Amino acid sequence: MSSAFTGTVHQLRLVLRRDRVRLPLWVVGLGGLIALSALAVPPIYDTPEKVAGYARTVGASPVSYLMSGRQVAIDTLGGIVANEISQVAQLGVCLMVMFLVVRHTRAEEESGRAEMLRSTVLGRHAATLAALLHAVAAVVLIGLLTTVSMLAAGLDGLGSATYGVGLALLGLCYAAVSLVAAQLSASARGALGIAGAAVAAGYLVRGVGAMQDSVLVWASPFGWAQRMDAFGDEQGWPALLLLALTALLLGLAGWLTAHRDFGGGLLQARPGPTRAVHRLGTPVGLVLRLQRGLMLGWAVGLAALGLLYGALVPTIPDLVASNPDIAGFIGASPDAEQALVDAFLRYVFVLMAVISTGFAVGSVLRLVADEEAGRAEVVLATAVSRWAWLGATVLVSAAGALLIASLMGLGLAAGYGLGTGEWDQVVAQVAGQLSYLPAVLVVAGLAVAVCGLVPRWSGLAWAGVAFVLVQVVLGEVLRLPGWIDALSPFWHLPALPVEGFAPWPALVQLALAAALVLLGLWGYRRRDVVTS
Amino acid sequence: MAVIELRDIVKTFGHVRALDGLDLAVEQGEVHGFLGPNGAGKSTAIRVLLGLLASDSGTARMLGGDPWRDAADLHRRLAYVPGDVALWPNLTGGEVIDVLGRMRGGLDERLRAEMLERFELDPRKRARTYSKGNRQKVALVAALSSRAELYLLDEPTSGLDPLMEVEFQRAVQELKGRGATVLLSSHILAEAEALSDRISIIRGGRVVQSGTLAELRHLTRTTVVAETAASPDRLGEVEGVHDPRVVDGRVSFDVDSDHLDGVVRALADLGVLSLTAHPPTLEELFLRQYGDASTS
Ligand SMILES: Nc1ncnc2c1ncn2[C@@H]1O[C@H](COP(=O)(O)OP(=O)(O)O)[C@@H](O)[C@H]1O
Ligand SMILES: [Mg+2]
Repeated sequence: MSSAFTGTVHQLRLVLRRDRVRLPLWVVGLGGLIALSALAVPPIYDTPEKVAGYARTVGASPVSYLMSGRQVAIDTLGGIVANEISQVAQLGVCLMVMFLVVRHTRAEEESGRAEMLRSTVLGRHAATLAALLHAVAAVVLIGLLTTVSMLAAGLDGLGSATYGVGLALLGLCYAAVSLVAAQLSASARGALGIAGAAVAAGYLVRGVGAMQDSVLVWASPFGWAQRMDAFGDEQGWPALLLLALTALLLGLAGWLTAHRDFGGGLLQARPGPTRAVHRLGTPVGLVLRLQRGLMLGWAVGLAALGLLYGALVPTIPDLVASNPDIAGFIGASPDAEQALVDAFLRYVFVLMAVISTGFAVGSVLRLVADEEAGRAEVVLATAVSRWAWLGATVLVSAAGALLIASLMGLGLAAGYGLGTGEWDQVVAQVAGQLSYLPAVLVVAGLAVAVCGLVPRWSGLAWAGVAFVLVQVVLGEVLRLPGWIDALSPFWHLPALPVEGFAPWPALVQLALAAALVLLGLWGYRRRDVVTS
Repeated sequence: MAVIELRDIVKTFGHVRALDGLDLAVEQGEVHGFLGPNGAGKSTAIRVLLGLLASDSGTARMLGGDPWRDAADLHRRLAYVPGDVALWPNLTGGEVIDVLGRMRGGLDERLRAEMLERFELDPRKRARTYSKGNRQKVALVAALSSRAELYLLDEPTSGLDPLMEVEFQRAVQELKGRGATVLLSSHILAEAEALSDRISIIRGGRVVQSGTLAELRHLTRTTVVAETAASPDRLGEVEGVHDPRVVDGRVSFDVDSDHLDGVVRALADLGVLSLTAHPPTLEELFLRQYGDASTS
């Protein structure tokens, strides 16, 4: 028995060494985000009226139930903090352990590195146990940081501790899920897919259960962690459920490890097609195929975000009435109801457009990623010209950005329609979302220029994304000087639906985007293909 | 007519002079061995030919065109196998073969089926799950399924097992039989020797030897180590034997390849107790020719 665990310490040291940057990044990044959100709440809800207003609006909103579950004591500051951080904290901790665990188990095995180690003195279960201990360290740190930030926000000690423990145990539980997933699938991507689906399922089941206020909540680890009732009448026994499931899953993972071949999994990859469909033989067809997963992921995610925001719209006047400070965040005065809704819509349009620049830039940067991986070389050694290859990428990125903008608008309109029962706004809302597309294309054009001119520095294109995001999200708060605001293309577009549409800014920006693409093309045709 | 003509090509990467005045001529219909140790500049030269890299100076012609300016057009007439094959992880081997074939302007269905069989490649597996050797087979099958005039093969056998290497050699013979031109880079002397009509040896970014196999015969001596019943002292007088040395009762010496027959007979007369023979490695060759085994 013990020999199966031989070398765990050695293995753990290796894991910690490999993650000496990654683990602190996760902990500081996720923990910092949680801490910032927790500390931001008390100054906003600084009177009993505002707290009560939150409970009446957000605390009674089905959208909030779906996203964050039913938080107890929502009419206290502790309840509000827990409700506000729950999405980021719970999903964040699950995704963190999922990536960490799969990285050190299945991904290692798939790469063949693990085989080298296994042939030394490492026991059969050593890698699994080391990955588990690594994840335990990560969730304990996140739990501690969360508790400490809640205490720093002036919240009750028992409640803060209960919340931190619940969060850490939720993470632990999904670490065990990920360990099982790593045994089931023969590929790291497959394992991430299984674990990710388990996270999504747990999250949605809890959300739907909370919306219906049904026992379904108890079918999800997310529900168990939440029903430890931090900041209400704290109860410890749901923690036992989390621990019991964790133990069960760990047993299963161990059993699977002992009953499968090294490198194999229970789920073998299905054989794929022998022949390529016809359109794959063209640059656009190939790029489209290579990027369709990326595009689909962004489209679904952002359409869902649009849906949620759309559903939130009807609650805006109430929310602002209960807490006028919120009007300041979206840049509106809290008097006229329609003006409020319009200001919120403008904020959502811009925010979603800015987020979608992440897709556009990521999609363009695949060009250089393909070069660095050595895959561009085989294409450019065929009759495909540089012009055609870059053009295909640009075309697919732009079409993807257009598709995503349309779907975001449709999602928003659908959420709005479901919330209000009014369906006459669909066209206006889709058009409103599309009106911000030219600025997205300018940021993407910048990425094309960078890829063409200075491929080694292509990561710089992400600075453009970061800048427009910060300008939109924090611009009001940071009070940036006007000339800095003016660097963002989004700043120059008419603020639909608050202002009316004007064609010139959009046309100028489309021309600018085209010029940046041409600049990139010029550079791309003159330079060496990146080789290693 | 020269299919490839590189003259005085210089290519630098920062401080590294990857190509340092390279001259290379490959004639129509020949298999040309492009031989050099790792880091000699073989891949760089091939990438210049493909218009993937722009040379700093020198002139380059390929298939009657300019490799940089006419890249896409010239590529219709050639097929390339990179030294380190990277593929899209989501596509199957079969899909990659079709994609590359169609992008160069079409592939021969019969050849495709035949090559898949001969190289024992399963075309339904995702590229992500292929080993290095199998990725190389995908690129090889893609190249060999085309009826190109020119094949640029950059160390195409470095991941193949010996059986597949034999298959590869047969395939190259067939290309030659069809009249195609092949530039075959390698860092293994024996491989280039087995296939090539002519060989260019590259070292430090320049070609140091070039010629037919016969002209380079003096380079391809076999090293023999033998233990004989009678004294081997007079072996040095046999034609083709170089540098005989006796260590621990064994004699070792180099033999010109075209004198092996006579030397083996002379050895037999002495009564052979044990015998090993191996072709020189590229490193040994450089050691003898230039007094160093420099590899970069
Ligand atoms: N993209 C590059 N950047 C920097 N140095 C390179 C690059 N490509 C090749 N080199 C260098 O050029 C020299 C020749 O490399 P290469 O042509 O790959 O040699 P070979 O194919 O003969 O092994 C080596 O010293 C290598 O390190
Ligand atoms: Mg090479």
